[in-house]
Amino acid sequence: MRPFLFSKSSAINQALAKKNGTTQYIAGGTNLVDLMKKHIAEPESLVDITSALPAKIEVTAKGIQIGAMVRNTPLANDAIILAKYPLIAKAVLAGASPQIRNMASTGGNLLQRTRCPYFYDVTTPCNKRKAGSGCSAIPGENRMSAIVGYSDQCIAVHPSDLCVALAALDASVKVQDKSGKTQSIAFTDFHRLPGTTPERDNNLPANALIHSIEINENAFAKNCAYVKVRDRDSYAFALVSVAAALNLKDNQIVEARLASGGVAHKPWRWLEAEQYLKGKTANAATFEAAADIAIKDLRAQSHNGFKIPMLKGAIETALQQCLNR
Amino acid sequence: MGFFDEPFDLMTPPEGRVEGVAKVTGSGKYAAEYKVNGLCHAVLVGSTIAAGTILNINTSNAKQVAGVLGVITHLEKPVVPGMADEEKIKEARFGLPVFHTDKVYFKGQPIALVIAETLEDATYAASLVSAEYREDAKTVDFNGTLGFVSLTPAGKDRGDITALNSAAHSIEAEYNIKAEVHNPMEMHATIAEWTADDKLKLFDKNQGVNNVQRTFAKLFNIPVNHIEVISEFVGGGFGSGLRVWPHALACIMAAKLVKRPVKLMLTRPQMFYSVGYRPASWQKIKLGANADGKFIGIHHQAKNGTSVYENFNEGITRVTRLIYNFDNLKAEAATVPLNLSTPTWMRGPGDCTGDFAIESAIDELSYKLNIDPVALRMKNLALEKNPETGLPWSTNYINECIEKGAQMISWKDRKAAHSQNIEGDWNIGYGMAVGAWNAGRGNASAGIQMQKDGSITVQTAMTDIGTGTGISMQNIAHETTGISKSKIKIELGNSNLPPAPSQGGSNGLSSIGGAVVAAVNALKLKLAEHAALQNEAYKNVAAADILLSDKGISLKTANSQFFISYASLWEKNKLGILEVEASSGPGAERQKYAFCSSAAHFCKVRVNRKTGKVKIERLVTVSDGGKIISEKAAANQMSGAAVGGIGMALMEEQATDERLGTLVGNDFAGYHFPVNADAPIIEVAFINKPDPNINPQGSKGLGEVGIIGTAAAIANAIYNATGKRLRDLPITPDKVLLG
Ligand SMILES: Cc1cc2nc3c(=O)[nH]c(=O)nc-3n(C[C@H](O)[C@H](O)[C@H](O)COP(=O)(O)OP(=O)(O)OC[C@H]3O[C@@H](n4cnc5c(N)ncnc54)[C@H](O)[C@@H]3O)c2cc1C
Ligand code: SF4
Repeated sequence: MRPFLFSKSSAINQALAKKNGTTQYIAGGTNLVDLMKKHIAEPESLVDITSALPAKIEVTAKGIQIGAMVRNTPLANDAIILAKYPLIAKAVLAGASPQIRNMASTGGNLLQRTRCPYFYDVTTPCNKRKAGSGCSAIPGENRMSAIVGYSDQCIAVHPSDLCVALAALDASVKVQDKSGKTQSIAFTDFHRLPGTTPERDNNLPANALIHSIEINENAFAKNCAYVKVRDRDSYAFALVSVAAALNLKDNQIVEARLASGGVAHKPWRWLEAEQYLKGKTANAATFEAAADIAIKDLRAQSHNGFKIPMLKGAIETALQQCLNR
Repeated sequence: MGFFDEPFDLMTPPEGRVEGVAKVTGSGKYAAEYKVNGLCHAVLVGSTIAAGTILNINTSNAKQVAGVLGVITHLEKPVVPGMADEEKIKEARFGLPVFHTDKVYFKGQPIALVIAETLEDATYAASLVSAEYREDAKTVDFNGTLGFVSLTPAGKDRGDITALNSAAHSIEAEYNIKAEVHNPMEMHATIAEWTADDKLKLFDKNQGVNNVQRTFAKLFNIPVNHIEVISEFVGGGFGSGLRVWPHALACIMAAKLVKRPVKLMLTRPQMFYSVGYRPASWQKIKLGANADGKFIGIHHQAKNGTSVYENFNEGITRVTRLIYNFDNLKAEAATVPLNLSTPTWMRGPGDCTGDFAIESAIDELSYKLNIDPVALRMKNLALEKNPETGLPWSTNYINECIEKGAQMISWKDRKAAHSQNIEGDWNIGYGMAVGAWNAGRGNASAGIQMQKDGSITVQTAMTDIGTGTGISMQNIAHETTGISKSKIKIELGNSNLPPAPSQGGSNGLSSIGGAVVAAVNALKLKLAEHAALQNEAYKNVAAADILLSDKGISLKTANSQFFISYASLWEKNKLGILEVEASSGPGAERQKYAFCSSAAHFCKVRVNRKTGKVKIERLVTVSDGGKIISEKAAANQMSGAAVGGIGMALMEEQATDERLGTLVGNDFAGYHFPVNADAPIIEVAFINKPDPNINPQGSKGLGEVGIIGTAAAIANAIYNATGKRLRDLPITPDKVLLG
């Protein structure tokens, strides 16, 4: 690890004032410290933001606001979350390990970097780590890679589970920049597709901080599920994951949400399938038809053709689980 | 009440480990944890290419970092006498001639070592070392390369394999297993200190202190007893500590260079390519049987990966000669050189690889014949004698393991045809397999020191890598002396103590148990010698007739008036600490009998048809390890091994990238071994019948058989559930889905 200066900020403005191109924020450090050890991140100085940002979950007029410093464990155990937004808790608990969740922050979870193995190995080419150096995954080991929304520059996936649930629930990200200005970014616009600039994961403005996440009230609390298929049953990133949520009236689907992790450079919404589900009867045949719509245009890499049938199965399973309460 | 609130007396732990309290409270020191005055830190720099020659190394940036004390490369180093020239390097058989060559054989091969005051300085400075290379052609692709090496006989043929051509039923199939990495919890580490020019002290993680001692005595050309190796606590090994690896030598060279004690601990990423692994393997089996299921013969072909600088042959076909009777056998093997570090023994080495193929093929045959897999095995087991040597088994209760296991898992609930047991999206299936291991025994020594108060300390150089060697030594000493366990202390893992073999191949307890018994006998005789001065009756008595207790000595044959207390014995003879040492090892019984440990594994799985996910619902392991000395430690061995088997079956895989010549991923986020969520509570049982010939205590060793057969039992259960015969490990969800 390269030596660095360390300071702690106790207020958001103070933290923002310290930020420049060679400074990096550290929250739980569960991703950043690894990146520093592996010389992927080499900041000259670190600013600890654990006391600078809100760490509370608050009920607002429209829904709730989750402070950027709310750690994953309290987030998953929060009474309001469990009662009204249980999809969030399900997704968080499907991720990482208890120790990591104790440290990991909500803001950090959005900004964690891909788990593409080449990204973590500085001796190999990787466009995301070093723009223009090439992509090792395309001709190499790409079992975990994307099946949708990728480019010929990068086929990495975003590793978060929480973000899949946030995308499904149409959350928004409240950010604040150096000038003190705040803005709200729709969650589905927050992360980017790789295109020709895979080194950029998201649309967070330069030198800005995530302040909080906002979620509007919704009718999905009763019928939602998070299914994560992985090589081992805990403490592993998704091969594919599915967040499903249904607003049901009797057995008719009023509205549906369907999002996936492990398939793209950002949490992926299956909008056409959601549209299809609307107004249908909730049963196995409907779910299978929706899953078929979701997978119809996917194109796998050389080693991950399995992700397409797996995704289909995971979508059907998740929708089915929405009915088991 | 929380766990830590429970009243707990530190001095009297419940049944468990002699070292349990030290481990749990942290007072037990692992190699890297010792405090040594003047200690500095070393960090390895690995090559960034997989094959070629180092043209130039730039260490000047590293040397400028504050706190850096020195840098070692092949160009600037204290020369190790045993590696002084090509000839010596060959003779040394050390494997990688670290820092004594400009050749690069695999990516990550140490090309430099940075020594600094702090670990942070050394780590940072190490990142500033760079090198220029001339690259050579390379390959790390086992499956792509194995076609280029030809098979050669692996042992003698039995009968004539052409008999298979007329078999009523036969199975012919290929099996592939990906490389697996040991990754014990404790990372390998060494603290080296030259206490004089020719005297070395090491705190080191390994599975055999005497092996470390011998290796470095040879390399540095100094007497063995000038090297002290301390490995009192070892946080797992699984075979990775059976060899002495380059990092330990590097650390010793560093201590020589900076003339200070140096610590070198591998990082977790380095653990993936520095201390061996189970190599990738390919096998082809042809198994033939007559109409009623009697095996006619097996043709077993196997290849495993090795490095380009050393030849490591796994011995994959060995197990094929051990379990079943049949008249015709041909075994062939080959190794496939790759630009990877050298593999090594990993739990159940060779046998658990070979057994997967054989036990899968037998399962497949059982469906073809429409015979229950249990019955098919029973029909073919070699229960009387070792089918290879013809020697009668001393004991072999593999059939009882099978019977007991079948009962425990309720085998009768299994459907004979596949895909018949379905609950929603889940298919349920049962599978079983057996495993066996040649039960060995080595020469070992143990010492006993006795105090006036009747307390004893039993000592050996053998390590306890978590297997329960210490508690078992205590149990044996207690049973043979009658002295209370609370008065028996155990000291081990130190080369100053009586020598013992490395702890591997399930030989640990088998070897040291006899030594403890021998030392106890020596103690009895020595005490009797002193007692004879007080009472003639003790003159020339046999050890078997001497009784000890917490209080004193007496004779079996006589009445209590011969009792002499330790206190009076000590006073009369002016004794200080009474010391004895004795050795014990295998003898003529090895010419008369064959020895094996065995196990039967039964598994119930659920397989999700939609996602390909396999859940292990039950895993039963019944083993014959002779007499069980410490049930808790033994059960811990077996369930740990079974969990390792789950890893082998379902998830462990070290991927490689052929284009880049590299391992893909080297951390626990990407290399998956099972966690609690992947394993049910393993149901362990023992036959627990002593083997009267192997050693005085009758125990045959268990560490390996717990994993030999586990993967096949799981794969066979997946077949029973789904009708998918999956012959490539690990069986990740993608393989189930597409299979
Ligand atoms: C072994 C392992 C397994 C894991 N498994 C999973 C999993 O299965 N599913 C899953 O979802 N996650 C998983 N994680 C990822 C984990 O959830 C993230 O590492 C964590 O959420 C990051 O939060 P942090 O607070 O530790 O971030 P840090 O490591 O502190 O920061 C990460 C990045 O975010 C920036 N940052 C942090 N907070 C802010 C803010 N408020 N504003 C602006 N920038 C900010 C930092 O500058 C840094 O660049 C795993 C991690 C590990 C190490
Ligand atoms: S997929 Fe993206 S992250 Fe992975 S190697 Fe290619 S460019 Fe790098």
